[in-house]
Amino acid sequence: MSRSTDVIVAGSGLAGLMAAYAAAQKGCRVKLISEGMGCLAISAGCIDLLGYDSMGRRLQDPWQGISLLPEEHPYTLLGNENIKTALDAFTDCMAARGLKMHAAPLDARPVNTLMPTIAGTLKPTWLVPADVAADSLEKARRILIVSVKGFRDCRPALIASQLSRYPELAGKDFDTIVLPSPFEEHGRSLNALDLANMADRPHGRDWLVEKLKGLGQKYDLALIPPILGARAGSGIHKIAAEALGCPFIELLSVPPGVAGLRIRDALADALASLNVEFYENASITGAEVKSGQCAGVKIFSAGRETLQTAGAFVIATGGILGGGVLLEQGKASEAVFGLNIPVPANVDEWSEPEVFGRHLVSSLGVAVGADMRARDVSLANVFFAGRTIGGYDQSAEKSGHGVAIATGWRAGALAAESAQKASGGNI
Amino acid sequence: MKTRINPDKCIACATCVAYCPVSRATPKFLGPRMIGPAYERFRLLDLPEDESLTYCANCKNCDITCPQGVPVSSINMLARAEYSKKHGYSLRDWVLAHGELQARLLRLIPARLKNFGMQNPLTRYVLDKFGIDRRSPLPDFAPQTFRQMLKKTAQPDLPRKVVYFPGCFIDVYDPQTGMDMVWAFNHAGYQVISPDSFECCGLPMVANGFWKDGEKRARNNLKELARWRKEGITAVTGCPSCALMFRHDIPDFYPKIVDEFGMGLLDDAQDFLAGCVERGELKLDGAPDLPEMKVIYHAPCHLRAQGNGLPGLGLLRSLKGVKAENANAGCCGISGSYGFKKEKYDIAQTIGTELFEKVKTSGAAVAVSECGTCRVQIEHGSGKKAVHPVTVLRQRFEGKTENA
Repeated sequence: MSRSTDVIVAGSGLAGLMAAYAAAQKGCRVKLISEGMGCLAISAGCIDLLGYDSMGRRLQDPWQGISLLPEEHPYTLLGNENIKTALDAFTDCMAARGLKMHAAPLDARPVNTLMPTIAGTLKPTWLVPADVAADSLEKARRILIVSVKGFRDCRPALIASQLSRYPELAGKDFDTIVLPSPFEEHGRSLNALDLANMADRPHGRDWLVEKLKGLGQKYDLALIPPILGARAGSGIHKIAAEALGCPFIELLSVPPGVAGLRIRDALADALASLNVEFYENASITGAEVKSGQCAGVKIFSAGRETLQTAGAFVIATGGILGGGVLLEQGKASEAVFGLNIPVPANVDEWSEPEVFGRHLVSSLGVAVGADMRARDVSLANVFFAGRTIGGYDQSAEKSGHGVAIATGWRAGALAAESAQKASGGNI
Repeated sequence: MKTRINPDKCIACATCVAYCPVSRATPKFLGPRMIGPAYERFRLLDLPEDESLTYCANCKNCDITCPQGVPVSSINMLARAEYSKKHGYSLRDWVLAHGELQARLLRLIPARLKNFGMQNPLTRYVLDKFGIDRRSPLPDFAPQTFRQMLKKTAQPDLPRKVVYFPGCFIDVYDPQTGMDMVWAFNHAGYQVISPDSFECCGLPMVANGFWKDGEKRARNNLKELARWRKEGITAVTGCPSCALMFRHDIPDFYPKIVDEFGMGLLDDAQDFLAGCVERGELKLDGAPDLPEMKVIYHAPCHLRAQGNGLPGLGLLRSLKGVKAENANAGCCGISGSYGFKKEKYDIAQTIGTELFEKVKTSGAAVAVSECGTCRVQIEHGSGKKAVHPVTVLRQRFEGKTENA
């Protein structure tokens, strides 16, 4: 019994989970090392591919936008085939766990769907729940917005007034309803997760069905906050739709991210069934590199420093917020290997006055090649994925989860190959 | 205690809220973000405590899931200690926090009598009124403590030694698992020393607000551990909560004791045994060929919090003919003494539902987990027998099979 493993994945966000999934599917023994739970717990749960081009114009066809991206963008490095393979692997994994997602078609051609949010805005996104059509919101005339008493994040009147400002949605009839709270007494305001957790339990499901019953009869569409269960494949969506009597869309919501948790639940389940070892609450403090190969990553936790060895490594430790990219005055670096990330010496140039603009800091990260290895450094068995990679601005272009899935899957597959080669094909 | 924890490390992302088992079971709890770093600002202003602080189970899922490294549960335990100091302690909490002391006081009474005294409907009714839920799975006292049993056991004379910290659960309620551990160490070529001077690790005291009592235990235990460290003998425990207390909480809460005696770095016994296998000291291929056995493994939260992976699961998977599924179903709900409390029992059962279902439908012969109270809760919630990984190890070597 050797405690060294084939592939170590650092980071438990969407990129890390996908990398672990790819490597484990190729038959590798995988250790997933994480500090914190990653982004999915606060994610709204749809998969953005590319929502806006570099000029800030909304894209109906993300692939058209991808073809125009600069050469250092992760999508350009990967190429469409790799992106599609990764997205397919993701949707297959979700579907197998009862979470069907698709790129909704418009005139038989998959396009970005404009999804309504709990703040009454519209957001272009790629993979949405399979029962949502790309134009369902535009096509509906009478729309009901549902909330629950005590759920302060979801204000139906605000949502209606904000959505009405969009030219696409002008002239719609919005109605609102606030359901009574299912909780007897509580000391805090409710969030979507409270209600979703409740709906996962038999009595909560009964409550939901009873309250939704017949509500949609007069409407073409209902907008519901994500309260229909927090677990993947609970089957509540179908029951809710039948009770309502009209189609519905779950609003994209603020943290805690119920729909993101469903995705994480499904992925973690897939990893557990592939015997991936979860190595939680461990901070990686550095790495041991010998002649261009990483031998292991150093972990410090609960008074114990260990060297975790493997044949290959995927670094998906996140960006600045996730701790994968470190900033100091006039200097930026990658956290595990200390790779330098070139930045202007003048910190004023790192951002721009427009808050929602494209800031340099948003795209800071490790420069990688098409092989997901760091450029200009010799680290043959180390692959990077997700927000640790530079060259894209997920907030401005709405591409975060898409890049995470594509680079995570690719890095995991390449790490598996690298580990297999190192072991002489004994995996 | 350490200089005050900086609550501003929290960026209010709500990841801990999404993973807090209590928060997910009841809106009576403000949730880790609010009661931890957010409320800490009010505490710094000396504003009154929010009552829902008592709902924190100290399971540490907030610490595990926080992407910014905020020690949320430590903030909560410090606040609880201060609150208890100001507002007094409940007798019920004292009883639940000091199981070790009661066991020592009751030592001379035969186990059968003690168990009848504790488990009969009348006592359970009285305890229920007193705040210990009558439905909760209070474990039975064992006829002899682990350390009494160990003294009566003739261990082979082996040159290598290991110090074993049994923890109260093994010592008082489940000594047989402790003996399985001794068997495994002997098999790997280690003689087991389990000093009488080891006391409760103190975690139940900290979790119930008895700060000074926890400190006293920490001092005594670290002093004892320092003695063995000087002799160059490794100290281990099979209990994840004890290990967490020694490795994480004591240095955080009582740094002066660490300054005086050094870190009390108890090793994970399962990790140690996996090391024995790796070094060839424990030969797994010596086990007989038995029919394949499926087990379902539950990772205790206090193990996950230590950042040391799941060595017990690795050990199970290295056993010939054992198929170990990771239940991956979150917290079992019991959190030491939490799930026994009358106002928390239902919350604890709700939290454990997903795990119970997974165990029930797994088709496994037995559930496996390192933590004693997790095992009690799994058996209570699923009806399936639950054992420690080392028990499976021993059974596979001795040719015993567990019946589904």
